[in-house]
Amino acid sequence: MIKLFKVKEKQRELAENASGGAPIKKQTAGELRLHKDISELNLPKSCAMHFPNGKDDLMNFEVSIRPDEGYYMGGTFLFSFQVSPIYPHEAPKVKCKTKVYHPNIDLEGNVCLNILREDWKPVLNINTVIYGLYHLFTEPNYEDPLNHDAAAVLRENPKLFESNVRRAMAGGYVGQIFFPRCM
Amino acid sequence: MADTSPQPSRSRDLDKLLLRPGNLVGPRFEPGPETRDDLQAYARVLVVGAGGLGCELLKDLALTGFRNLDVIDMDRIEVTNLNRQFLFRLEDVGKPKAEVAAKRVMERISGVNIVPHFCRIEDKDISFYNDFNIIALGLDSIEARSYINGVACSFLEYDSYNNPREETIKPMVDGGTEGFKGHARVILPGITPCFECTIWLFPPQVKFPLCTLAETPRTAAHCIEYAHLIKWNEVHGGTAFDPDDPEHMKWVYNEALKRAELFGIPGVTYSLTQGVVKNIIPAIASTNAIISAACALETLKIATECSKTLSNYLSYNGTQGVHTKVTEFERDKDCLVCGPGVLIEVEPSVTLQKFIYLLEEHPKLWLSRASVSHQGKNLYLQAPTVLEEMTRSNLSQTLFNLMGKVTRDIVHVNGTATKNDQKISCMRKLLVVFKGTDGVADMDTAGGA
Amino acid sequence: MAEPKVKYDRQLRIWGEQGQAALEKSSICLLNSGPTGSETLKNLVLGGIGSITVVDGSKVEEGDLGNNFMVDESSIGQSKAKCVCSFLQELNDAVKAKFIEEYPEELIETNPSFFSQFTLVVATQLVEDSMIKLDRICREANVILIFARSYGLAGFVRISFKEHTVIESKPEHFLDDLRLNNPWPELKSLAEGIELNVQDPVAHKHIPYVIILVKVADEWAKSHGGALPSTREEKREFKELIKARMRGQDEDNYKEAIEASFKVFSPQGISSDLQQIVNDSSAEVDSNSSDFWVLVAALKEFIANEGGGETPLEGSIPDMTSSTEQYVNLQNIYQKKAEADIVAIERRVRSILKKIGRDSNSIPRTTIKSFCKNSRKLKICRFRLIEDEFNSPNLPELQKYLTDEDFSTAVGIYILLRAVDRFAANYNSFPGQYESAMEEDIPRLKSTASGLLNDLGCNGATLAEDLINEMCRFGAAELHAVAALVGGIASQEIIKLITRQFVPMSGTFIFNGIDHKSQLLSL
Repeated sequence: MIKLFKVKEKQRELAENASGGAPIKKQTAGELRLHKDISELNLPKSCAMHFPNGKDDLMNFEVSIRPDEGYYMGGTFLFSFQVSPIYPHEAPKVKCKTKVYHPNIDLEGNVCLNILREDWKPVLNINTVIYGLYHLFTEPNYEDPLNHDAAAVLRENPKLFESNVRRAMAGGYVGQIFFPRCM
Repeated sequence: MADTSPQPSRSRDLDKLLLRPGNLVGPRFEPGPETRDDLQAYARVLVVGAGGLGCELLKDLALTGFRNLDVIDMDRIEVTNLNRQFLFRLEDVGKPKAEVAAKRVMERISGVNIVPHFCRIEDKDISFYNDFNIIALGLDSIEARSYINGVACSFLEYDSYNNPREETIKPMVDGGTEGFKGHARVILPGITPCFECTIWLFPPQVKFPLCTLAETPRTAAHCIEYAHLIKWNEVHGGTAFDPDDPEHMKWVYNEALKRAELFGIPGVTYSLTQGVVKNIIPAIASTNAIISAACALETLKIATECSKTLSNYLSYNGTQGVHTKVTEFERDKDCLVCGPGVLIEVEPSVTLQKFIYLLEEHPKLWLSRASVSHQGKNLYLQAPTVLEEMTRSNLSQTLFNLMGKVTRDIVHVNGTATKNDQKISCMRKLLVVFKGTDGVADMDTAGGA
Repeated sequence: MAEPKVKYDRQLRIWGEQGQAALEKSSICLLNSGPTGSETLKNLVLGGIGSITVVDGSKVEEGDLGNNFMVDESSIGQSKAKCVCSFLQELNDAVKAKFIEEYPEELIETNPSFFSQFTLVVATQLVEDSMIKLDRICREANVILIFARSYGLAGFVRISFKEHTVIESKPEHFLDDLRLNNPWPELKSLAEGIELNVQDPVAHKHIPYVIILVKVADEWAKSHGGALPSTREEKREFKELIKARMRGQDEDNYKEAIEASFKVFSPQGISSDLQQIVNDSSAEVDSNSSDFWVLVAALKEFIANEGGGETPLEGSIPDMTSSTEQYVNLQNIYQKKAEADIVAIERRVRSILKKIGRDSNSIPRTTIKSFCKNSRKLKICRFRLIEDEFNSPNLPELQKYLTDEDFSTAVGIYILLRAVDRFAANYNSFPGQYESAMEEDIPRLKSTASGLLNDLGCNGATLAEDLINEMCRFGAAELHAVAALVGGIASQEIIKLITRQFVPMSGTFIFNGIDHKSQLLSL
């Protein structure tokens, strides 16, 4: 090996006398895998994606979901995705940017979805996550609450829950809390 | 005992290994003073990280015949480092680790030159990393390992028989510790598994379900994570939580304590709060010493072949007695990071559209509906619509132009392949060579120096 | 000032304040301050060991600068012990560091009582004859002794001490102590008060699996004449019984119950390892017995009486899917039982102490508590006198190692490390120490090794030629990286011995720096 080092040292000296090459951006293993996930996406019509930083930054994107059935029909909900360079070793970080009255999403936008935390596995992909999010709107559940009040209402009084959801989506107060319009 | 005392030499002990022939050595070991002198003159090693492992590595390498070292670390010295990072003293707290570490070793060992780099590993051009013969990793994060591995593997080239070209192999030695346990490994890209081939060796971090934190906390850690992940944003909205701000940490601790009291849960302490929030891994001097020394020894062997080598992963566990184990892990044949990639020769006049079509016909690929990326640039994406629209105009341009008129380079493609009548989605690494440019000629000069 | 606590934070997370206090109280003596010894001490000084005494009679030479970080150009010609000591002091001013400029071999001969003042002696780079003498001295004085040696790309670490007992052995994987195979009345009645068929789906999926298993096991026992499942078929049926109660695929508590059902089937009573400890003759205590054995004696009585064949309950439970309230209730039930068991053990400890004529309060309650919590994990390590091992090693083991591919290099190193000392005694230098003698040293070492193997009873056994060559090539070199590694292992063992936490190595650790296939040999 040392002989090789000697040769390389000479090459280096030569190169230093010439000029430094243009810096090349390194593509991480996470980006490569995400590229695959994204190009294979098969989304329902009700979901759309946005890439605020353009086509060459896939690691930060947004997904908007417009449920076409259930309590949340007609609303539009925006989620931000942040993907790590070691994806899929680590789950993407997902936040709900739309303030929503929902048992499994709190007012800060934290989302209680098992595959985003305790049940994430590298075989899962962005498609599964988006479907999981979509599912939260068609079937909100009061068994894993993050918004305690909303969960209690869904459980005790589904009719009231429904009207609360409508009121929030139309832009209005539920109890003391104001929800901007998202329809 | 001494009858004929030899010339006093600083290399007294190392010379036994480097000057004398042996039978349990590498095939290209050339015993003699020249090996020792060349090691000092030409071998350049980069130490990544100047923490627990990095401090040891610098000392070990400097006392193992290496004289040209660089060290890169973005961190400053903290009080909690002092129980193991032996190059630092209390009065150094707040100073850059790389700079102090380099200075201390140079003060004690004359003739050694250590260049410190106080910056993030991503801040350096890739060419910076190519200047070193060997990279020694003393890191505590998967992200950083993955990054350096990607950089080192990006220098790797294969010949037309898919054998790695030796002069493009950037050897790495990697160490890691946790409490009484650790590992040391040798990565020769193209020969032994790279970090990405075996990323499954690192278990994913345990994450509690958010609804457990919000609704059914049971342990002290649940209360802490509630305060950290949920309550902080609720109260502080705009301000991002900073784990290095003691005020922030105290706030989380107090909130966690309140919550624990509310639910009758014992065990919330300030120390545990820091441990959970910062995901602190316990660390001691002895384990770092063991693992770094193994790495330094392997670095010497890679450079000189003065002994057989570790092949290729050593694990150490000192919790119940002492257990060491050597495992020969295997490469992932299809690894996107260190694999050879499929060679594709095309005319410089080929458009991206035509190139995508060629992939469908290629006997090693049969890849349809391909999306293509080159060096972090997405040339074409089949989906989703928004990206397809953004990249569609590239289809009519030549691939040669899109790739910046290089003669040859790696591109990544993914699409649908047909295997045994089954359609499977797959991701492939390709080596694109443009005919009639000097990229082709370059391919045939295999072997090299 | 909280600074030391911050400084030691990363290690306090491993051995706690008690472990740290033990380190800070201890005094270590180092023999020979070459890189193996200096690096061993470096790791201990950084961790805040109480005091160190460096013993070395040699002066620093040019060659030392190439393998020892603790000396530099200004040290040449000075006492090595002094230079190493002053560098170590720089690392941590809380440590009391002193040095004695004297050759260890002479100290062993002339002043054996010197060693009795230390908690532990770490002897590096000693030859066989001195090792044997020092071992006798330390054994007599009940001082822990640890040998470490680096030799070319090889090395060894060996502990010698009459008996090391561990309460906090801290195994990484150890089954929790839930007693699902033998629930006590309070746990049973807590379970009886909980309805499994609760209507509310949220409540249903938050019943902790411990309760589910206690109830289903109880149900099973009632229909099976009081017995728990034992055959494979019964175990399968038992799991089906749990499954049948599940309402949906997402009920994690039921999934956990099925996964943990083996805890219901596992045999009652104590492990065979623990049985061996309570049966040890040392558990027959008298006024000379250590606290540990007094506690074991109490444990033995407890198991035979109020324990009903079981150890005191550990008292902690793992996290599991549950509502907060039910989890906290469960935790309290376990804790109460554990506390009651502690009281019972304490009563027995006090009465035993009285019986053997000691102050009945001489073992503090915190120790008893820790002992109870860890009673299933107790460890006893006894180490042979090195002289006994050297004169009459465990022959079947030795022969097995010599023919086992995984062990042959390690045992080869073991034999050769002894052979080089014999060689040195005969020829006044180590094989290959001087370039000029290489040619004749190889066959000499080979015949010395054969002679040694014959003496040990392995007639006709031979070692690989390549390894013998390699050993001559090493020429007693002390390479820094090897020394740092061997010293690192030695310091890690010292920490375990002094904190009395975790389990130290048994036997001789042979470091193989050629391909890292190191081994622990039990001879």
